[in-house]
Amino acid sequence: MESILVLTHGNEASALTKASLEAVAAGMGLASRLGAPLSIGIVAADGSAAASALASAGARLLAVSGAAFAQPRYATDAAACQALCRAARASIVLAPESARFARVMAGVAHRLGGFIDTHITALGGAEHVEVTRWFYRQRVEAVLSRAARPWFLLLDAGTHAAFAGAPGSAQTEQVAVELPAPHTTVTGLRAPQQGAQTIRPDAGLLFVAGAGWTKKQADGQVHTSEAGQIILEFLRGSGASLGSSKSLVDQGSEGQPVLPFLTHLNQVGQTGATPRHPKGLSTCCHGEEPHVVGWRFIGERRAISLDPNCGWTRGKADVVYVADAFQVMTKVNALLAARKA
Amino acid sequence: MSADAVQTGLGTAGSDAAACAPETASSIEPLIEHQSLEADIACAGFGPAMGGFLTTLSRAWTENPADPAFESRVAPGMPLQVLCYERADDIGAGVSGVVTRAEGIRASFPKLNPDEIPMAAEVRRERVLYLLDPVGASRRSSLLRCGDALLRGAGRLVGLKDHALELPWTPAFLHKQGGLVMSIGQFNQWVGAQLMGAGLVQIWPGTPVSAPIFAEPPVMTVNGGKRRCGVRGLRLADQGVDRFGAPAEGFMAGMDVHARLTVVGDGPVGAVGQALDEKLGLPLGHARREWGLGMKMVIELPPDSSNPHQLDQNTLAADGVPKGGGKDERLLPGTVWHTFGYPEPEIFGFLYVHPNRLVSVGIFVPSWMGNPARTAYRYLQHYIQHPALWKHLKDGTLRSWGAKSLDESGRRGEPFLVGDGFARIGEGSGSTNMLTGSGVDEAWTTGTQLGEAVLELLRAGRPFTEENLAATYEARRRASRVERGSRQAEHARDGFHHGFVRGLMGMALAGLSGGKLSLDAHIPPAAEQIRPLPPQMKGLKLKKAVTAAMEDGRPLHDALMSARGWPEIPFDGRLLVTHQDALLMGGKVQAMAGFADHVVFHNRGLCIGCEVKTCAAMCSGQAITVGTDGMPAFEREKCVHCGACLWNCAQSADGVHGNIEFRAGSGGLHSAEN
Amino acid sequence: MSNPLHIVVCAGIVPDPLQTLEPVSGPHGPGLKNEMVLPAVLDPWAASALYEAAHLAAKHPGSKVWLVALGPKAKLQQVMMTVAQKAGFELVPVDGPIGGFPDAHSTAAVLAETISAIAGLDKTRLLLFGGWESASRGAGITLQLIGEILGITDQFQGVDRIDMRADCSFEVLERVEGGMHQESVCAGLPAVLGWATGTLAEPRNNPQTGMSNMRTILPALQKARPVALSGDSLRYVAVSLPRQQRATRVVKDMSPDEIARELVEWMGAE
Repeated sequence: MESILVLTHGNEASALTKASLEAVAAGMGLASRLGAPLSIGIVAADGSAAASALASAGARLLAVSGAAFAQPRYATDAAACQALCRAARASIVLAPESARFARVMAGVAHRLGGFIDTHITALGGAEHVEVTRWFYRQRVEAVLSRAARPWFLLLDAGTHAAFAGAPGSAQTEQVAVELPAPHTTVTGLRAPQQGAQTIRPDAGLLFVAGAGWTKKQADGQVHTSEAGQIILEFLRGSGASLGSSKSLVDQGSEGQPVLPFLTHLNQVGQTGATPRHPKGLSTCCHGEEPHVVGWRFIGERRAISLDPNCGWTRGKADVVYVADAFQVMTKVNALLAARKA
Repeated sequence: MSADAVQTGLGTAGSDAAACAPETASSIEPLIEHQSLEADIACAGFGPAMGGFLTTLSRAWTENPADPAFESRVAPGMPLQVLCYERADDIGAGVSGVVTRAEGIRASFPKLNPDEIPMAAEVRRERVLYLLDPVGASRRSSLLRCGDALLRGAGRLVGLKDHALELPWTPAFLHKQGGLVMSIGQFNQWVGAQLMGAGLVQIWPGTPVSAPIFAEPPVMTVNGGKRRCGVRGLRLADQGVDRFGAPAEGFMAGMDVHARLTVVGDGPVGAVGQALDEKLGLPLGHARREWGLGMKMVIELPPDSSNPHQLDQNTLAADGVPKGGGKDERLLPGTVWHTFGYPEPEIFGFLYVHPNRLVSVGIFVPSWMGNPARTAYRYLQHYIQHPALWKHLKDGTLRSWGAKSLDESGRRGEPFLVGDGFARIGEGSGSTNMLTGSGVDEAWTTGTQLGEAVLELLRAGRPFTEENLAATYEARRRASRVERGSRQAEHARDGFHHGFVRGLMGMALAGLSGGKLSLDAHIPPAAEQIRPLPPQMKGLKLKKAVTAAMEDGRPLHDALMSARGWPEIPFDGRLLVTHQDALLMGGKVQAMAGFADHVVFHNRGLCIGCEVKTCAAMCSGQAITVGTDGMPAFEREKCVHCGACLWNCAQSADGVHGNIEFRAGSGGLHSAEN
Repeated sequence: MSNPLHIVVCAGIVPDPLQTLEPVSGPHGPGLKNEMVLPAVLDPWAASALYEAAHLAAKHPGSKVWLVALGPKAKLQQVMMTVAQKAGFELVPVDGPIGGFPDAHSTAAVLAETISAIAGLDKTRLLLFGGWESASRGAGITLQLIGEILGITDQFQGVDRIDMRADCSFEVLERVEGGMHQESVCAGLPAVLGWATGTLAEPRNNPQTGMSNMRTILPALQKARPVALSGDSLRYVAVSLPRQQRATRVVKDMSPDEIARELVEWMGAE
């Protein structure tokens, strides 16, 4: 018989992250389906807020707490997760595919003699648990299973609804952790540059800028600074998250003028990110396959391109507007501004 | 000066090399210092010819590594330092599916098992088909139309089927029986893996060679004649430059690779070969005036449906002939079709069947077609839709796609094969046989001939002088079947300059008489073969079509073809795809950052005033597009390095050179199935 | 800076990103159709790791870079002809299967064993580099597992920058959610760094670097240890290609004003 442990962690304020709550809901569903006991482990500086949020989950709550767990760090997080797993004695361990847990969970699995699979997008299977994940950068989808236990599964954010039970008081078992000697100090978070935060994972819209923004326009001139203004104004007005094609961010490393607020972190596609947003709008981008694989988890897709034969028209977007993105986005900005006014 | 002297006293390049160096973007800049490295043998381009050369050398070394002939002069105690530089990003990124008699290849690999080479198969069955025009858009002469009408009237009585007439036999000169159907990409990989595994040879892909390094100014020969300028190595292309070649971030001047022997096998449009031709000229009476663009698709056939013949051995008798007789149309591995007559009479086509339900299907668009709207991609799409082919292909999937310029001048375009410190091999040395339509095996053979010659000179301790290379390599070549074949083929296709029917007659005459008979013709330079607008274009107004194409975002060739009556292509997203999609789906084009544009338009006024703009229409990768001001623009990231722009420029400022320069560049197709 | 570093870069080979991929089932589990025929490249994020390693080694005299690569020998040889021109390293090849479907746990065990056997490797000076995820399996776990097997408990993933100090302590930037970087200071070696893009552009092809590398690469390839990866624990139920074809509406005749209105209306539904 399986037993389930869901590992969660808090944010800087010790509140559970959304991805953690998604993992909780997934764990509850799986435990219910398998008739398996459910434990939830909390890693946070102070686990009380998290425990309160999980009061109605109907699970055994375990926590490791202390200043050492305020910030993500391999040595301390691995020790914490290892201790929670030992305490829970679970056969299946679910956790969110957050930067914090992605960093440590393979190591934890190894310490416990277990196995791990990551970027899980679905939990299924009838008699045996089967999980779905992608290979080759979202190009090939596979369903797989393992006989060995414990089996660690990291769930991709956005693939499950978040747990939203009523908060209450809950009994939490504090788990002691033997910490290694401190060797790494986390000194803080750093925004990409210039304070312009353009990556917004929770935004409803992904706005992708392609290399066309920096190429010669109809008048034979490049209008990079105008392009930058239009895009930033749109991001401000719409709250969209900014993505980019590889060819555009690559220009920055070749010494050519490029949009100053773009970094490789914005890159979507084969060697970039695969974000999840309900909608996506592509501009000045050809829609080549290596880029479009990064759109695998974008719901509705629209594109503005001067090329009516661009890749987007080949079944990769729902709507393609054959138009000048400079003109269209200027108008869009005006409409957004008017709406706000 | 001896070659031994040439390879000593090396330093950084600069003034001493400049005396003979061509004026490339890097070499005219005197302040840029080029680092150098020393090798024994430096090679430009890795194709079948270089494969033959290096295989011959490598094998001899493997058999006896202690042979003192293989001791390096530049790295004492080490074996010969043999460096080969290839422009493409991978040695398998070749662009040619071939059928070859493979005599030279088999001589190098007597126990060759085609199963070891992906996509290779023994030639089993050959067909020659005359294709009629099923859509009525083909530009056919009155004579040809009459012939077609007669054929249609006779119908099945003469064996007409699917708008195609199969010739009752394949002329001997076209036969490839006993040969191989191959993918050059896979063949190159196979050869390259063995070479590198053996350890003597280093092959460096992703490294374009910009020019030869010429030796000191020529000196007199012992007989008092003027020597040809010798070569003492290769200069690699500058990296970290802007598109115009000016140093930019991460600039690294192209390195000079000095060697006592430079082997030039960079093909018909290679920068090293071009520079040599420019510097030395061609032998008296020789000229490169005939070209062709080969463009092809690799198509995966469906496992069932329209191809019930696939791998169906049950209907074959023991000897491989169909039971019950009849024409064998099945696409079994090793099947070869040669076609002519469609989509234009001048365009020859082919279909080769590889193992695992893969076929290579393609066409050759020759310079002598004359029409400025030489739109190979659209023509290829119409070609595969011809009923005789389409019934097999229609449910297939495009796997790969590519294009390549072919030097169709053959022996008449042969350059000086040797000089002090250099030798030329392969297609760029005029080895292609245009009568038999074969070049790969000939190229390979020239490489092995040079390999044997080099071994002879190394063992004799003789330097790589013009005389010694002529006495060993050139002599071997002159005495070989490559030379005999190229002489037979020398005038075989001249008749096509008088029209399709006379061209066929001339080819037949040459083929059947062993080259003794042919229809000669004056052959103008390639630029002059581009005719002004044909009469049927008068009502169209080319400029209007250009404008319409730009406004509609359509490629120029599409607008031109549609205007001429060719039906629109019913795109299916799988096999019939736009040109851009072919680049993405089949060809996978890339260009490494930090290299200069390798296609350069010299005189802006000439380009803007050019009415035909064949460079754009013929560009295989749609890398050349015409701007609103009428000026062609080049996008390096889309170029497949076919080199068609080089011979599809109708303009010349000096009456000798075209207005387009095709230099050494990085990138190209990323497909190993071609 | 007198502290030489011993940097081991784990880097596999993957199909050239532009290739069309199609899964097939084989006797040893799933694979890619024509996998051996497809052009291969060094895994892009692992390539970043290699360039960063070479850059770092150049700044610390006496440092050494090893490139540990698992893949079919012939394919490795081919890819090395391109990679060897870009950075100086000593190749430690392992002749094994290609592709993303073999179990990462088996891969990690083989690689850890291989690294442990590298002659002259000083584990107290070790920086274990690699890509934070491969472009084939994309699991992001192999490097951590190797680190654990080797007993390294300072691990960083999604690294974009490292600033090494004279005493071999270092500051590191890791990618975290929201386009942010987490900044940490690690007191010293050994450490595991899974690289994202890094800060360096792809180095130029340098023929001299290539020639120098090749003196050790070819003999190493000839001696590459053949391995088979066990996948006893992992069972593939299904492997498929997603159908993502949409019915695209191509709009050609609308004015920018009309398009803008339609877009704002579409966006406004959120």
